[in-house]
Formats: sequence, structure tokens, C-alpha cells
Amino acid sequence: MKINITGIGIISAIGLNVQENFQSLQTKTSGIKNNTNFSEKRNLLLGQVTLSNKELIHLLNVNTPISRTSLLGLVAAKEAWGNNQIHQSIRTGIISSTSVGGMDRSEEYYKNKIEGNDADISLIVTHDNGNTTEKIATSLGISGYVNTLSTACSSAANAIMLGARLIQQNKLDRVLVGGVDSLTNFTIEGFKSLMIYDDEWVKPFDQNRKGLNLGEGAGFLLLENEKSIEQTNNKPLAELTGWSNASDAYHQTASSPDGKGATKAIRDALNMAKLNPEEVSYVNAHGTGTPNNDLSESVALKNIFKTKIPPFSSTKAYTGHTLAASGAIEAVFSVLALQYNVIFPNLNFTTPITETQLEPEIEYVTNKQVNIVLSNSFGFGGNNSTLIFKKL
Amino acid sequence: MDNIKLQLKEQIIKQLNLENVSVDDISDDMPLFGEGLGLDSIDALELIVLMENNYNIKLLNPEEGKEVFQSINSMAAYISKHQQ
Amino acid sequence: MYFINACSTISHQHSFQNEEWIMHLKSLNNNSTLVSPEYKNFIDGGSLRRMSEILRMGLACSKDCITQSGINNPDAIIVGTGLGCLTDTEKFLKNAITIKGLIPPTSFIQSTHNTIAGQISLTLKNYNYNMTHTQNSVSFEHALIDAMLSLNESKSNVLVGAADEKIDFMEELARELHFSEIENKLTSGASFFILSNSQNSTTKAKLVDSCAIGLNAAPNEEVVANFLKNNHLLLSDVDLVLFSTYGTQKTEEVNKLFHPIPILSIEDYSGYHFTTAAFGMHLATEILNQKDNFLISNTTPIKKILVYNNLGNKSIGLTLLQSIEA
Repeated sequence: MKINITGIGIISAIGLNVQENFQSLQTKTSGIKNNTNFSEKRNLLLGQVTLSNKELIHLLNVNTPISRTSLLGLVAAKEAWGNNQIHQSIRTGIISSTSVGGMDRSEEYYKNKIEGNDADISLIVTHDNGNTTEKIATSLGISGYVNTLSTACSSAANAIMLGARLIQQNKLDRVLVGGVDSLTNFTIEGFKSLMIYDDEWVKPFDQNRKGLNLGEGAGFLLLENEKSIEQTNNKPLAELTGWSNASDAYHQTASSPDGKGATKAIRDALNMAKLNPEEVSYVNAHGTGTPNNDLSESVALKNIFKTKIPPFSSTKAYTGHTLAASGAIEAVFSVLALQYNVIFPNLNFTTPITETQLEPEIEYVTNKQVNIVLSNSFGFGGNNSTLIFKKL
Repeated sequence: MDNIKLQLKEQIIKQLNLENVSVDDISDDMPLFGEGLGLDSIDALELIVLMENNYNIKLLNPEEGKEVFQSINSMAAYISKHQQ
Repeated sequence: MYFINACSTISHQHSFQNEEWIMHLKSLNNNSTLVSPEYKNFIDGGSLRRMSEILRMGLACSKDCITQSGINNPDAIIVGTGLGCLTDTEKFLKNAITIKGLIPPTSFIQSTHNTIAGQISLTLKNYNYNMTHTQNSVSFEHALIDAMLSLNESKSNVLVGAADEKIDFMEELARELHFSEIENKLTSGASFFILSNSQNSTTKAKLVDSCAIGLNAAPNEEVVANFLKNNHLLLSDVDLVLFSTYGTQKTEEVNKLFHPIPILSIEDYSGYHFTTAAFGMHLATEILNQKDNFLISNTTPIKKILVYNNLGNKSIGLTLLQSIEA
């Protein structure tokens, strides 16, 4: 059964919609800048979305209280949903994913509380992950199957996978899938405490990489089966043809040096899509810029592709690491690569990693046929997911 | 120097929540990582915090910490040399 | 049809590794506490020292399920949690606000919702599908649905469960949000199961189906009727309903909805947290295995139990269980 992708939506540091993001990718315009919102965090490079909460609320015309995570999610979800309507005969659901949920507001409440100031209780009611998704679902009129996943950096890829499986097993006909995360003091301090936050612009897959830059954003895709398309008349943009989730079981935060979980995820996804490694046109890598991930991922790529590594790149030097949203944002980039036969560049690369010697694509490539795109998302706790997209 | 070593052991037990370990269980030259006390890379980060907060010594990353954190002896020696 | 081949619960009852636990159920009161096992029998000291309650519960229950079923390498590990790892979240939040210099990282690492499932896979050295569902009051049902999807995909055995922990801060919040009926009954708890495609000597009951309806606008009777209809059943086929809700008014509604089928409150025994439906499923499994019905004044044998979860305002979770003989 074919899993058709008929809608895509995105908001990130490099654009408020698909078109703007695409333009930035083409012109090598990164959205990572010195922070403007997090006043205590001077000289911190972040991939912030260029709209304030006030502006987002106004743009979306939604009720408060609502967290920034829901707001960002709603922008991307609306774009992917487009002009779709709810029909009795089309079983529809939504699966979002997030790691921060409403923490952007909760941390404000908690700070006021422990500093002995007045704390507005409405700040805390948007905390839980599920609530974040409910706000998006309510706005779009989707009810029934409403779910949220949370597996750190692989979250959105897993949401996409779960949506596909529900369609494949005939539980749903149409499902909006994706992920969101907004910037919070909590996560910024968290990654700094792990000493994997680069105070310079991130250099994915470079020997001198020092860590990640955080970003925020949301990505959503609309998946439909044939039965749904017959009714909606939506035009498929690409096909989701393979997926897999595997565990590293190595360490609470670090990926295994032999790339075990990552290798398994890539291999299983290729097997599911009935593809040989040589058939992959482009790999959109997880490539966070941390010493650990980029090495582990490089080893996995070599395990699978041996000496014939396809063009690969990480787009995180554009958007920053958007945590739970990254799998969906990069899924949208993968669909664009298929639609327009393009390969996006890996910014800031000069020196290959000593142990693996791999060189990502550093130019914006427009002269290659792109038929199959493989996208990796590898999360904390060793949660590794791979998605494979196919040109229609 | 001996004062520092005893202090260090107490601080390590506290910071790393080593519930069943007493200062007598940690010998001065025992490897702290791998075999010996069996600390891991998360503990290494915690020790970096300990060095900064208790001794005002800044280690830039876990790599720098590898040599320093080999044993109580090496930690105490480093602290004596670098304490602000 | 799926088979429940192991169950393990840590709760305010003496439920852990105690086959007779439902013979001694006690209604929750203000003084009851979590009954925890000796965790060092399940978790090595090096890992244990860092673990918050929720991680300890999840890991101990998982290991217990592995021992019960003999399935050392489940094909999937799927966890539902409403609020995730609150102790570590609060700890890191507090540190992030109050500490000006370097912040200890451990509580941040352990604050992500998927730490529970991740820690289980790490301990079992399991390289398979690993998922965490966080849809507040129906997190467990979504985990079950995912488990059923996995078993339909040629996986044989799935470790599926739920856990939530209570922190003192929640009592304060409950007060401020005027949840007076549950403020003193907030609890932690975890329940894990091995769900399989085949019956064997360790099978305790059958899982017929589970569903989670979010943002529900239809009358609850309709939702229940549709769920049963999809499973070729009528309400009159159900022998007992274990329900989750709060407030006297909502409890009366449950009574009306299911009358004359006997109903039993889950929270009376589990206390309140988002994933009490998992406790309900274990309780149901045990009841289905009892020869005498002492919990309710019913004379007919109990063969089908519906776990009805209306803890959330607009979400309904439904789980249908059947005895092995039925």
C-alpha cells in the first residue's frame, strides 16, 4: 500500500513557510544568529524563528493560553493541511511530537514561584506534551486519533513512521504527522551542561566540530492512502517508501562508536523499501555537529554504503538542531529534494573527520537526478530512526 | 594535600550520589573510571561541575578531564596546582 | 486477539511480585504510600544511584515481566507516560534557574520522556523498536495501540507499559487549579506487560482491543457502543467495568452509562496519575483469573472486562480484556 505525501508545512529559523525555507537553502542563507530573546545567554548562537509569540498569536488568531510550541506547530500544520476538510468517510488523525511541550511557559511559572513572586497559574496549564498537540488538532478540527510521541531528536521521524503504519494497517486514511520544539532556557542550559554546545557556528561532519547550535521550529506532512486521495483529489508530492526505528542500547546520551543502532535503522529501512544502497540519491544526515553523533553516523554510513557513499549533507547549520522537530523539518527538505531534483549543501565543512574521511556535499547541486532520499534522525537514549522518500 | 583528598572523596560521593560507598572504599590511587570506582562519561561531566563550583577550576571539556580524573591522587595534584 | 503473558505493577498496593495482591486491596487513604521493591535486586548500584522513582519503577517492572515470560529480547519496547520524568525535570529546572555557573547535567539527561524506554533498552541490551507515547490521560492506550500494530507486523512479543511519577509540587498545583477532590490522592505508579501473538503457559488473559479517542464530542455511550460494535459485541456482553474518572458527578455518569453492569473505580486503589489505565489493565487481568468474585457482588463468572478511562476531559480510553477460557 502506497503512503502518499500530499502536504508539507514548515517553520524554522530560515523561513516561515516551505517557500521561504527552500529559498534560504538554495542561497546558503543560515538562520543561526546571536540570540535576541534569551537575555541571560549572551553570545549564544541560536536558530530562532523570527516571530514573537504575540506576532504568532495575531497571525494565527488563536485563543490563549497557548505555548510557543503549539503556535509554531500550528503554523506548519496549517500549511501542510492546506484546504483539506474533515469528512465522515475519511478516517483522519494527527500525530505530533515534542520534547519541550509547554516548558517555555512552565519555566516562567516555576521561576516566579521559586523567586517568591506572583506566578500566573495559567502558565502551567499548557505544560504537558499531549496538550500541545490538542491545541493544534482543535484548531484544524481533527479529533479521534490524536497522539504525541516524545523520543528526543528522533521524535518527528517516529511520528511520520507511526502515521504510515496506521495507514498501512487500515486504521486511518489520512494523517497529519510531524514535530515541534520551541527554544527554552531549560534546553539551552541542558545542552550547555552537557558541554556539547558550540559557541561558534556549527560545523557538521568537520574534524574541528565542537557541538551543536540549538534551533526551534516545526515540520508537518500530510500522509494519505489511495482511498483518501480519490476523495480529496490532493496531488501526491512524493512517496514514503521505507522506515525503521532501532535502539543503540549503548549509553544514555552518546551514540555507539560502531554506529550499531544507526546502521540497523538504515539497513532495516532500505530492506523495507526493497532498495539496494546504490539506489539512494541523497542522504539528509542527522549531522548535529557533536563530536559523537557525526562520528557515529559516519561509521554507520560506511557500514551501509561501503566505498560508494551517496551525496550526503546535514542541514543543521541552516536551522540549528530543532530537536523533536528535526525529523519532520528534514523530511520536508527531503521532499523538496525529490520534487526539484536538488541536493542541499552541508555548510561550514572544511576538514573531513580523521577516522572516517567522509566528505559531505558542500554545494547546492541542481544537475543530478534525485529519486530516493534517505533521512536520518538519531536521538538521546539511542533512539535511531531512518525514513526513505521516493520520487513519484 | 591529604585534606584535599578526603574532601574530594566526600564531595564525589555526594555529587555522584554514590549511596553505598564510603570514603574508606575509595583508595587514593584507585582508577575512578572503568574498573575501580566504575564512573562513566556522565560522571565526568559532573566532576567538571564539581571542579568549577568547589575549586573554581574551569575545565573546558570532558577530553581535558580524562587525565585529571584518573584517580583521587591526580585530581588532588591538579587542584593543588591550579586552585584559584 | 493478543495474549497478556506477563504483568507487573508497582503501586500503593502490595502489587509487585505478589500473586495474591488483589485479595488484599485497600482503598487509598491520605496515609498510603508507594510500595516499592528492593530495587538493588533489579538494578545495579552504578545505574541505580542516578535513577529517579519513575526510572526505577519502569525498570523493575520490565525485568519482572522478562522473568515471568522468559522473553529476554522483546521485539519492541513501548512506554506511555503522561508527564514523564518529573523529578529530574524539576531538579534541572531549579538548577537552571538558581545556579549561575556550570549546572550538573545528570538531571537534564534523565528529564526527557523517553528516558524510561531508553533505560530499559540499555539494560536489556535491546536493539529493537523503542517508542514513548505522551498523550496525557490516554498515553497508555496509545502505547497499547502501537504494541498491537507491532504484533500485526510479524513481531512476536512486545514489552509495553506505562509509568508516571508524582512530585510534591503537583499537590500545590492541584490546589491552585481547584482539583480539590484529587489533591491528596496523587500518586506514582507503573505497570508493564508482555503482549504476544501466541498463547503459552504464562498467558494470564487476552487483550481484545484498545482505543483512544481525543477531543471527543460524541456522547460517551456512543463511543463505548461503537468500540464494542467494532469488536462484534454489545454492552450486555461486558461483565465488569473498571473505570477511571474523578469527581462525584462524573462517577454518577459512569454508573448511569453502564448500569446494570457492575463498576469498580480504578483510582480507589491506584490513586491519581495520568496512566492509571495500565493499573486497570493489570487489575482486570487478575480478576479474570480469580475463581471467586469477591470484589463485586456478582454471581456470574467474569469473562469480559472493559477498562473505561475518562480521566481526561475530552479524551476517552477503552481497553477490552477477556479471560483465557472465554
